[in-house]
Amino acid sequence: MESVSDSDSVRLEVSACLRCLSSSDSSRNITVLQTLLSYLDEASHGAAQRAQFSRSHYSRTLRVLITTIEADWVHRLTARQREELWDALFLRGPPEQALLVLLEAIGELSPSTSLDHVVTITEKFLQDGRLTNLLWSYCVGSAQSDSPQLRETLLGRLSALPDIMANKLHHNISPLFLPQQYYPLLASAMLTALQRTCQALRDNINCSLAFVSQTLGKLCLQGHGGLVLAAMAPRLSACTRSDMVWQRVCWKLFESIPQRSMECVLTALVLAVSGPESLGRIVGNLVLRNKKAEFVITHKLLLLQYKYETGVLRTVLGYLAADRDRRPLLIQVLRCICQAWANPSAVKHTPMEQQLYVSKALLLSVSLLKDQELQDLRSELLQCLLGGMQSHLDSSVLRIRCVGMVVGECLSSRMDNADTKLKFEYEQDEETRELLSLMTPSGWCEPEPVDGSESLQETKELAPNTCSVASQRRQTTPPLAPTDPDSDLDSDDELTPYDMTEDQEVSQTSPPRYLRDCLESLMSSEDAMRVELSLKAADPLVRRNAFAAREISVQMSKVLLHMEDKYNIQGFLILRHAAMVALAVTDCIPVTQYLTTEFYSLNYSLRQRLDMLEVLVAAAQELSLPTTDKKNSSIISALDVAELPPFQGHDPVHWRQVVEKRIQSKTRRISKGASQPATAKATPNRYAPVAGYFFFPLLKNYDKPEVTFDLLGSDHLVLGRLIHSLGLFMHLAVNAPVAAQMGSALLDFVWTVRYHTDQMVRRGVLFAVCSVFLSMPSQNLLLDLGDMLFETRTWLTDVAEGDPDADCRSLAVQSLVLLDKSLKKQLKDPQSPSLES
Amino acid sequence: MLKLSVADDANVQPLASLNDHRMSHPPPSPIYTLRGAGGPLNSLHFRCYGEDAPLLFSGSGKGCIHIWNLNTRRTNKVIEGHSGSSIIWVCTKRSKDTLISQGRDMQICLWDLGEGRCDLLDSVWTGSVGFCQCSMLETSPISSLLAFAGQQTEEIKIIELPSKIQICTLMPVAKVGMVMCINLFQPDSCPGPLLLAGYEEGSLLLWDVTQQSILSQVKAHPDPVMCLTFDPTRLRGISGSSEKNLSSWKLDEKNNLQLQGGVTLANPGVSQLCIREDGKLLASAGWDSRVRVFGWKKLRPLAVLQYHTDMVLSVAFSDHQDPRQRLMAAGSKDQRISLWSLYNES
Repeated sequence: MESVSDSDSVRLEVSACLRCLSSSDSSRNITVLQTLLSYLDEASHGAAQRAQFSRSHYSRTLRVLITTIEADWVHRLTARQREELWDALFLRGPPEQALLVLLEAIGELSPSTSLDHVVTITEKFLQDGRLTNLLWSYCVGSAQSDSPQLRETLLGRLSALPDIMANKLHHNISPLFLPQQYYPLLASAMLTALQRTCQALRDNINCSLAFVSQTLGKLCLQGHGGLVLAAMAPRLSACTRSDMVWQRVCWKLFESIPQRSMECVLTALVLAVSGPESLGRIVGNLVLRNKKAEFVITHKLLLLQYKYETGVLRTVLGYLAADRDRRPLLIQVLRCICQAWANPSAVKHTPMEQQLYVSKALLLSVSLLKDQELQDLRSELLQCLLGGMQSHLDSSVLRIRCVGMVVGECLSSRMDNADTKLKFEYEQDEETRELLSLMTPSGWCEPEPVDGSESLQETKELAPNTCSVASQRRQTTPPLAPTDPDSDLDSDDELTPYDMTEDQEVSQTSPPRYLRDCLESLMSSEDAMRVELSLKAADPLVRRNAFAAREISVQMSKVLLHMEDKYNIQGFLILRHAAMVALAVTDCIPVTQYLTTEFYSLNYSLRQRLDMLEVLVAAAQELSLPTTDKKNSSIISALDVAELPPFQGHDPVHWRQVVEKRIQSKTRRISKGASQPATAKATPNRYAPVAGYFFFPLLKNYDKPEVTFDLLGSDHLVLGRLIHSLGLFMHLAVNAPVAAQMGSALLDFVWTVRYHTDQMVRRGVLFAVCSVFLSMPSQNLLLDLGDMLFETRTWLTDVAEGDPDADCRSLAVQSLVLLDKSLKKQLKDPQSPSLES
Repeated sequence: MLKLSVADDANVQPLASLNDHRMSHPPPSPIYTLRGAGGPLNSLHFRCYGEDAPLLFSGSGKGCIHIWNLNTRRTNKVIEGHSGSSIIWVCTKRSKDTLISQGRDMQICLWDLGEGRCDLLDSVWTGSVGFCQCSMLETSPISSLLAFAGQQTEEIKIIELPSKIQICTLMPVAKVGMVMCINLFQPDSCPGPLLLAGYEEGSLLLWDVTQQSILSQVKAHPDPVMCLTFDPTRLRGISGSSEKNLSSWKLDEKNNLQLQGGVTLANPGVSQLCIREDGKLLASAGWDSRVRVFGWKKLRPLAVLQYHTDMVLSVAFSDHQDPRQRLMAAGSKDQRISLWSLYNES
C-alpha cells in the first residue's frame, strides 16, 4: 500500500515538474530541473522512488526536455547551468533510455543549434563511457524496461549509430561517430562489461551475457564484425591465456550468440584471431555444442567459401586439431575435403581459386594428422589420392595439373610409402612453393603478445598477416652467399673478360646446301650430326629456294611431321616447327591441304595433331603480315615462332627493333594541313586469298570419331586447340572477302560445343566468337546471322554471369561488348542495307 | 612536318641494363690481317725491339719464311730455304740479325739478315722426322744452346751455337714415345740449364742438361702432349694436347713437377700455347679455329677470338718495348695471320 502511495507521489511530482517545464518560467524551471535530477541521485530519494522514476518517468521526462529545447528559458540558462542541469539529466539516468531518446531526437530535429546541442550530448554520452554502463546494466539485469521489442530497437540503434548520425549530419560529423572510432569504442565497452562480469563472478554475483552476445551478433550481422573483433580478439586472447574465469565468460559469450548471427561472428572472429590457439581459448568447444557453429567451422569456411587467406585455414584446422574432443571433427573434415578434392566434377566445374583453396585445406589437415590417425585413414587417403590425381592430371589447365601434382607429392610423402613416393616434374613458382610450405607445420606458431593492453594495436596488424608469415620467413633467411672460391682471387685481376657465349662446340659435318640433300638426310640419315644440321638448315633453305621447295613441299611436310626427336637435338620442336611453317608459307595451298586432311586421318598422336594446328596457325600469321624486304624476312619468321604460345621464353626480338618501336611511340609528329604521309606501304595481303584453305577443311569430319581420335569425346584437348586455331584464322581473315562465310560457319560450328565441360574448350569457343565479331563486317553480322545472333547473346550473358572459369567470364563480357559495338555501328550507319532487305 | 623526339632516358634505360646482363663487351676483332703466305702458318715470331721497323716472321707449310713489315703490313722478303718442305719453327737471335728456321727437311738453317742480306750462314742436320719444334736458349751474347729432336724418336740433342758442338743427348729409359715438344730454360736456382719435354704418351719430363738425368716426370695428358710453354719467373707452365684439357703444372724448390689442374676448353685440340712477356696473358691456338685468351695468374678465360676459318696453328705475342703497342698474332691453316691488340691499356 505504501509503495502505491509512494509511486503516486513520485508520479504527481514528476507530472507537476513536466507541466512546469512546458511553460516558460526560467527561474522556476531551474528548481524543477534540480528536482528531477535529484531523482537520479542516491542521496536525496529512497531506492524505491528512484527505481520508480527510472522505470516509469525517465523517458517521459527526457522527451519533454527535448520538446522544450527551443523554449526561451532554455536559452536563458547559463552554459554552466545547462551543463549541470539540462545535460546531466541525459547523462546520469538509465543509459538505454537516454540513448534511445537522444537518437530519436536526432532523427526528428532538423539542422539547428538544438540539433547541435543534442549531438553534443550524445558525444558526451559516448565519451563518458555510458555505453559500458548500458551494457553492464543489462549484464546485472538492472535495466528495468526489458521488453523484446525495446531490446531489439536498442540493439538496432546501438549497432547502427554511425549510420544514423551520418544520415543526419552528413559531412560535419564528429570523428567519434565514424565507424572507425565508434565500433572500437563499443568493443572496448563490451570488453569492460566482460571484465566486470568476471569480477562479479568472482564475487559470486550472477550475471547475464545475453545482451552483450546479442550486441556482438547484431554488429557482426550488419557487417561491422571486422572492426569490432579486431579490437576485441587480441584482448580476449590475452585475457584467456591464464584466467579460467575469463575463458568461461568468453565461452558463454559466444555460446549465447543468436543462431542467425553465429556465422558472421565466427567468421569475423576467425579472421581476427592470431592463431588456432587463441581461437581455441576464446570459443572453447563451441563447435561441439552449437550445430550452426559446427556447420560454419567444418563446412562453410572450408568447402563453400574460398576467399580467405591461408592463415584462416591454418586457424580453423589448427583449432579443430588442438583438442582431443574436437579431433574427430578434424577427421570428418578431412574426409569431406578429400572427397571435394578428388571429385572429378569439382575439378571441372569449380573455379580454380576454390580448387586451390581446397588443396591448401587438404594439405594443412593432412599435415595436422598424427601418425596413428594417418594409419587409420590410409586407405581412404589413398583412394582420394588416386582418384584426385587422375582427375587433376586429366585437366587441360596447367595450373590445375600443377596443383594436382604438388598435392599428390605431398600426400604420398606424408603417407610415407617409403619407396613408392610420387615424384613429378613441375615448375616451381610462388603457388607451388606455398603449397609445399603448408606441409611443414612448425612454421606457424608465432609468439602472441602477452600484454593485453598493448596487444590491441599490435595484433591488429598481425592478424591479417598471418598468412604471409611463411613468405616473410623465407625472405628473412639470409640468402646463401655465393661461395665462389675464385671470387676473392679474381678481384685483383684487372682484366675484364669479353663475352664468351659464342664459344660453343663446333660440329664436324657441314650443313646441307641443297634442299634435296636436306630432305634426304632428314629421311634416311643415321648420323645425328647430319640430321641436326639438316633440320637447322631446313627453314632458311626452304625460304631461299622457293622454287625447289614447291616441288617437294608436301613430301617434306610429311617427313617433318613424322619426325621424332631420336637424337635429342636441342630445340628440336622449334626447328621442326620453323621448317614446317616455312613450307606452308612457301607453298601454301598444297601443304595446307595436306595438313588439314591429315588432321582428321587415322594413326596420329595427339601431339602430331596439335603440331599440325600450330604450324597452320603460324603460317597463317606469317602470311597475314605485310611482306617486308628479303633481309628482314628471317627475323620476322623468328618473331612468329616466338609469338606462339608453346615456344615462349625464346626472345629473338632484335634490340634495335625494340628501340625503334620505343622511339616511334615516344615521337610526337605535329603535322600541318591535310598532307598526312602514308607511313606504311600498301602490300597485298597474302593470307586473304588462301584463308579458306586453312579454315574450311578443318570444319569437316569433326564429329566422325575414329578409333584413335575422338574429338568430341576424350580428346577435348585437341578440340580446344582446334577451335582456338579456327578463331585465329577467322581473326586474321579480317577484311578478306571470305570472312563473312567463315564467320557464320564458325559460329555454327562452335554452337554445339558451347557448353563443353572442359574450360579450355569453352575458352576456345569464346575466343572464336570474339574473333567472329571482330572480323566479320558489321552489315553481314545482322544479315547472315540474324536470329542466331540473339541466341548467341543470351548464351553469352549466361556465360558472363555463371561460368566457373574467370577467363571464360571475361571473354564472354568482351564478346558482348564487341557484338554491341558492331550492332550499334550497323544500326547507326544509314548507308548500310536495311534489315528488311 | 615537325618531328619532335622525346626519347626520355628513363625508358631507354632497361635496354642498356639488358645489354649489361648479357656480359660485357662482344669479343674483339683483329686489328688487321696478313694474307698471302700461301700455306698453313706453322710458326710465328715477332721482332719488334730496337729502332728498326717491327717485323713478324712466319714459317709456312709450303716451305717459305715470310718477313712481314708491321708498319707497311707487307712482306719485306720471302726466304725459301728448305727446298719446299714445311717450315715448323722460326726464331731470331737477340744479339745479331740472325734468323733460325727449322724445316721438315731435317735441317735447321741459320740466316744472316743484316743490312738487307739474306744469306744462309750455316745449317744443322737433325735427322728428326717429327714435328717437334726446337728450343733455343741464349747463354751469352755470342753463344747459345739449341735443343732439338734427334734421329731416334725419343732422342733430344743439345748443341752449342755457333760452334755446333754437341753438348749432350737425352734419351729416357722409360718408354714414353716420340718427343713432341721441348723447352729449354735456365732457372735461377740451378747452375745448369733445364729442359722440359713432352712426349707422345702424355708424360712431361724435366731434364737436367748438365747431369743428363731426369729430375721429375708427370703424366700430364692421356694423349700426346702437343705443345707446352713455361714461365721461368713464376716457375709455372702449361701444356696442351689433342683433348679438351689444358694441364697446368708447377716446378717446386726441389725441381719436382706438380700438376695444378687446368682448364677445359669447349673443343678439343691445341696447337700452340704462348705466354705474354709480362706474364699476364696466355693464348692458345685451337684446332677449332679459335684463339683463346686466359689470364695467366688464375687461368681465367678472358676472350675467345673467332676470325679464322680453319685450325689455328701458331700464336705469338710481340716484344714491343712500349706495352701499349703490343700485339698478338695468330697463324692458321687458312693461310692468314690475324693480329690483335688485347689488354694493352695498363
